Amino acid sequence: MDTLLKYLGSNVTPGEAGDYIWATIYILVIFLGISVAVIAMNWLERKILAHMQVRLGPMRVGPHGLLQPIADALKLLIKEDIIPNEADKVVFWFAPVAVVVTAFTTFIVVPFGRTHAVTDMNIGILFMLGVSSLGVLGIIMAGWASNSHYPLMGSLRSSAQMVSYEIAMGLAVVSAIMMTSMKTGTGTLSMIGIVQSQLEQGQWFIFSMFPLGLIAFGVFAIAMVAETNRAPFDLPEAESELVAGFHTEYSGFRWSLFFLAEYAAMIAVSSIAVTLWLGGWLRPFPNWLPGTRWDMAFGFFPALTFLALALLCFIGVLRMPRIPQFRIQTLGLAGFGALLGFTGLVLLVPGVRIRVLDIYWFTLKVAFFMYLYIWYRGTFPRYRFDQLMRVGWKVLLPVSLGVVILVAVVGIWPELTHKVVGVLR
Amino acid sequence: MSIAPILRKVFLVDLIKGLGVTFRYQDPKEIVTEQYPLERPQIAERYRGQPRLNVNPDTGETLCIACGLCAMACPEKLITVTSERNPVTKKKELVSFVYDTSRCMFCGLCEDSCSTDALELTQDYESALYGREGMVLDRPRLERGPEPTVYAR
Repeated sequence: MDTLLKYLGSNVTPGEAGDYIWATIYILVIFLGISVAVIAMNWLERKILAHMQVRLGPMRVGPHGLLQPIADALKLLIKEDIIPNEADKVVFWFAPVAVVVTAFTTFIVVPFGRTHAVTDMNIGILFMLGVSSLGVLGIIMAGWASNSHYPLMGSLRSSAQMVSYEIAMGLAVVSAIMMTSMKTGTGTLSMIGIVQSQLEQGQWFIFSMFPLGLIAFGVFAIAMVAETNRAPFDLPEAESELVAGFHTEYSGFRWSLFFLAEYAAMIAVSSIAVTLWLGGWLRPFPNWLPGTRWDMAFGFFPALTFLALALLCFIGVLRMPRIPQFRIQTLGLAGFGALLGFTGLVLLVPGVRIRVLDIYWFTLKVAFFMYLYIWYRGTFPRYRFDQLMRVGWKVLLPVSLGVVILVAVVGIWPELTHKVVGVLR
Repeated sequence: MSIAPILRKVFLVDLIKGLGVTFRYQDPKEIVTEQYPLERPQIAERYRGQPRLNVNPDTGETLCIACGLCAMACPEKLITVTSERNPVTKKKELVSFVYDTSRCMFCGLCEDSCSTDALELTQDYESALYGREGMVLDRPRLERGPEPTVYAR
């Protein structure tokens, strides 16, 4: 109890404080949180995509198919574990592990709040980019170890795509990192430091040096879809061409690991974008609506969100068909609504409210990106491979290079003019 | 080359328009899927489904005069009408009426040729069965009309 209070009063991440117990707890909580988020994303994706295609989506397992991902997970877990005879057994076994481990390792430095990160690395963003690019190794291993045509083609495409988009992505990140040094003169690579420099400069980097921040963000937003192999850049798993791409030969639990890793990577890349350009855990409109009163007002958002979700659940309860077969589902939905409402009420307690606020804003921004992923998938047709390469090398790369150069020039402009004037005198 | 198409490309106008379209279609009102066993679809009035031999609602007597026009009209020759002449009234009376739905293509020619509106293809569309046994419909079954499957747990 004493250590708990001491920790809650502290103002650093457990990694910085050297607190191993809290770091372990954080790792477990983040692991569980990401897993739950992946399950929720699975349901949301199928539901939103279905609605965009004028369908209903899952409706039968639980109210509005809410239990569908759990049923799917159970089915995947009890499936027969198949390794093809011709496959390279060790590599085949290791590939999904490598993909999952790299996808989850990146979350060590993701700052859900000033104190809500496992640790604050001084090379945080570099660590994240480096570890998440290791994921492509797992994909290549999976494609090669399967000893089959389509997986190999899929993994080859995947590696080519990742290599070409990583450059544009990296340059966009560099331009954001250069912005961290704008007023103070000392830049930082730490994820928490990047958000704090946005706080000090009083604006998110997406609005910095308008429109350079916006362009860099746009390049990153396109490149990150390609990096995570999502539609419209989902060539490595293009089902109309390559069956299922690199995981054609995988089934059951191993396949679900790939699935988990894909969604975890999506969340990880989105949290890079949120940290670099959208102010991480900072609340929106700090300049339009400043002051403690607005801080207070924005503080009620988490509770309001949960209460609104609870209300939606109760409306759903009222609109359920009133026949005996649906009684259990209706009761379940009411229970879920009550749980959400209770969470909302807990979030109204001042101590809790202040503590979770930064997590809430960060999660909300990441959730917006997750919605974008689904939205893209529901809208855009898949790129042809040469179009993909053209966009990567001939559009995104020059644009991001130009942005880096322009940000550098604008950043040192005062000094530059000062020096030139000095020389002329 | 004019500047407008280039600007459209640079600002991704077409892509954003496409996103707008899918966003608007998310409205639950747009959904066309039917939850079939729970909610049954509205069938068009002129839909040709399972056949029925109509009876006079007042007397319960069949409207069929056993003329055999339907059997003649049928391109598949799947209707068999047998009749015998009533010695008292000197009228033909229907004895049996066999309709083989397993070969029927629901063209509706029998229905059209019927001079008394006795034979009718109803709007019942649930004609699937597990075997061929139930597909040959006899007179009592045809007069009872379609018996839609009731789905329940």
